[in-house]
Amino acid sequence: MNVAAKKRFGPLLLIAPAAILIGVFLVLPYLNIVVMSFRMPGQGTPYGPGFTLVNYGKFFSDIFYIQQVANTLWIGFVTTLACLILGYPVAWQLARGNSAFRAMGYGLVLSPLLVGIVIRSYGWTILLGNNGLINRTLMGWGIIDGPLPLMYNALGIVIALVHVFLPFMILPIMSAIQGIDPSLEAAARSLGASKATAFRRITLPLSLPGIQAGSILVFVLSLSAYVTPSLIGGLRVKTMAVTVVDALIDTFQWPFGSALALMLSVTGAIVVVVFGRLTVMKWKA
Amino acid sequence: MTEVSIEKLTKDYGQGPAVNGISIRIAEGEFISLLGPSGCGKTTTLKMIAGFEDATEGAIRFDGRDVVHVPVEKRDIGMVFQNYALFPHMTVEKNLAFGLEMRKISKAEIRERITKVLDMVQLAGYAERYPRQLSGGQQQRVALARALVIEPKILLLDEPLANLDAKLREEMRVFIRDLQRRVGITTVYVTHDQAEAMTMSDRVVVMFGGRIAQIGTPSDIYERPSNLEVAEFVGQVNIIRGKVGSGTISTPFGNLPAAGAYADGTEIMLALRPEAVELLPVNSGTSGVPAKVRSSYYSGSLVDYRLDLADGATVNVQTFPRTRFADGDEVLIHAPVDRFWPLGPIRGTEA
Repeated sequence: MNVAAKKRFGPLLLIAPAAILIGVFLVLPYLNIVVMSFRMPGQGTPYGPGFTLVNYGKFFSDIFYIQQVANTLWIGFVTTLACLILGYPVAWQLARGNSAFRAMGYGLVLSPLLVGIVIRSYGWTILLGNNGLINRTLMGWGIIDGPLPLMYNALGIVIALVHVFLPFMILPIMSAIQGIDPSLEAAARSLGASKATAFRRITLPLSLPGIQAGSILVFVLSLSAYVTPSLIGGLRVKTMAVTVVDALIDTFQWPFGSALALMLSVTGAIVVVVFGRLTVMKWKA
Repeated sequence: MTEVSIEKLTKDYGQGPAVNGISIRIAEGEFISLLGPSGCGKTTTLKMIAGFEDATEGAIRFDGRDVVHVPVEKRDIGMVFQNYALFPHMTVEKNLAFGLEMRKISKAEIRERITKVLDMVQLAGYAERYPRQLSGGQQQRVALARALVIEPKILLLDEPLANLDAKLREEMRVFIRDLQRRVGITTVYVTHDQAEAMTMSDRVVVMFGGRIAQIGTPSDIYERPSNLEVAEFVGQVNIIRGKVGSGTISTPFGNLPAAGAYADGTEIMLALRPEAVELLPVNSGTSGVPAKVRSSYYSGSLVDYRLDLADGATVNVQTFPRTRFADGDEVLIHAPVDRFWPLGPIRGTEA
């Protein structure tokens, strides 16, 4: 290869391994899902001959599936909101607290990621079950008569998802707050703003990019979460991801499962784009 | 206009005092600089005046009222930060309006005051810009305007020129000083740059190790420094040894009239500023101390000489380049007796 060719193809060669990996193992399978969603349902085979819209028709004609998408979006929304409310103060402390706390806090924040997701979800079943630690303690203290319904419902799923995804909210917000010059708050105080007003008018709006990034991460992760909803939700509450896997693996309906997966992706993407647009506008105002 | 009185102010972070019992009275409309090397306590003092740091002991009075327990936002101060601290998500106008909104001032008056203050800092027409669209000097002026538009009791400036290039820094010195005179606001200015402190201030407070080494006008500080540390921190200085004896101090520059109460036989240090002396050719016929030019440094308006005296001591001299001497030239140093300033005895020689 001569020098000019090296200059031209050098960068391409460097990204080639990653591009090939993503192309073969991500883009192609995705395209396959798109194609699959238009296939005829098969009889004893993964799919039948020819193309059809029948899978999408089945989705839109059955209120059950639409409701399930709505449920999934709702669980994602509540999880995101809960992560934001719980995570922001922690992120602020990590960004602005003293260094001794920071090292320990950083470890604590990352700790949920150190335990495998299956183990963690089983852990929550021990805590949340009717015979679990929380209910037995509360009943033991006489605070409640019967067990609170903490598992096999949306609440249990949200609790477990918040636990898992909190770091994904905290880290972007923390880094956004770290990027805000502390003297801006000091300047606001010197101009007559109380601590709360300085936070509301200066720190909060300037940390919005971190809130946006964290919220999108947690929301997307919540929509696509499978292990935690299937273990905690059981048979009673199913999120879209669980239904998709059921369709693909249990009932072997590859074309319909693909259509369900795409509907989840599309609705999720729409929510993310709208949210992104709204928060960008807010940021400029 | 506000008179500020700092009384026995101390700040201790737990590892010995950062500010150690300092007292300063600042008159109405006075421009005072806190000058010293980093870690001398000047910034901590400013933060205590502003209310960002609690005083461990002592009082800070604005017009007689102790404000030590008043929170920052209630102290009615205007502060300019080293990095300007302009709100990046707000336009110049919004930045300026912030403090006025906190004071619940009507929209019409806010608009009026912003127009006035932008005129004052020569930034009319920049109201809609964001800070990132302004140059360093312009940002600096917005920061000043934001601090002044609220018409605070006192103006506090924390090394506001440290991030500007040399030429702009000199312009801003004059600009800030003129503005302060026009507004007539009591001002405390923190800097480690002695030239800045000297050119801008009515009085300079020189601080070392949390204590005040000297308070005085710029010429007090420069010409009559209270000790060796001050003399060396504020400009260049030659330290000349002299020995006290029967009413005179004998030095390599001849006998000087004794100043201060030193016992005979004490060796003392005398400060001699490099520009306080004249260099003359050996054949000029006047009296002077003979010396030899070791090296010289020409800087346009001035020439710096390193001179060797007969006894081996080195003296730095700064003159106008009207008469130039070459390296190796024999010269005479003519030093008026009144330009030597006693800095105290050399330790261990007190008789």
